[in-house]
Amino acid sequence: MAASHQLSGPETWVDTYGDYLYSFALSRVHDESTAQDLVQETLTGALKTRTGFKGKASEKTWLTSILKNKIIDFIRKKYAEPMAADINHDITDINDEFDAAGHWKTGPAQWAANPEELLAQKSFLEIVQKCLSQLPGKQAAAMSLRELDGKSTQAICKVLNISATNCWVLLHRARFLMRKCIEMNWLNHEDDK
Amino acid sequence: MFKCQDISHLISQSMDRQLPWYIRMGIKFHVMMCRLCLRYQKQLKLIHLSFAELEKQYDTDTCHACLPEEVKNNIRKKLETP
Repeated sequence: MAASHQLSGPETWVDTYGDYLYSFALSRVHDESTAQDLVQETLTGALKTRTGFKGKASEKTWLTSILKNKIIDFIRKKYAEPMAADINHDITDINDEFDAAGHWKTGPAQWAANPEELLAQKSFLEIVQKCLSQLPGKQAAAMSLRELDGKSTQAICKVLNISATNCWVLLHRARFLMRKCIEMNWLNHEDDK
Repeated sequence: MFKCQDISHLISQSMDRQLPWYIRMGIKFHVMMCRLCLRYQKQLKLIHLSFAELEKQYDTDTCHACLPEEVKNNIRKKLETP
């Protein structure tokens, strides 16, 4: 028999899950007051719908899934307007990295002898997080949905109201800029040591 | 033949969809000969992996980012069952 989960009293939610839900939201929307609003909406929404809780998932998973939907609604509303100039706005950044023949001008630098070691370093992960939050809004949204939530590009297209091709371009640009941002921050960080 | 600029876009796409076999071969041959594109490919994979690490951190950190106390109080009030 599957274990059935029970809900604790709503008065305990803020203390038990408040910080977790806030970190979760903040890592995806990159704005403190928006993240705070989303947590509040999630918990007050959960209060209303808790009678429908079936106990199939843990309380934490249940609250997180409500928050995920709130985040997607937020992103959908924010980027509801059809694809505008946004997509081409930083194309020059990428073009600048290549010469006229399409070869790297300088190209990616070496980050570390052993990539696995980087993953174990908190300072490296902090830089990844920081660089994600510095991406242009739509790129950050696409990247969070893809990499943090593992959404398919079809799902991302729907949320952002863009074509599949634009979605691939958006993710390419996001990864390209993130890689560059991480490199600049990480190599500086290493120099400071 | 693909140029490095095309390859950078294709490497990203390969993380989001199944590319046709001849494109996958094209990427493979290119990175065999091009050290910079190979490095680019490895770094994108590393970035992908670091997101998974970040997720783990949110789960274990007691307070990765803390909800300010006044916001907590506000929500607590709203959750008081009448």
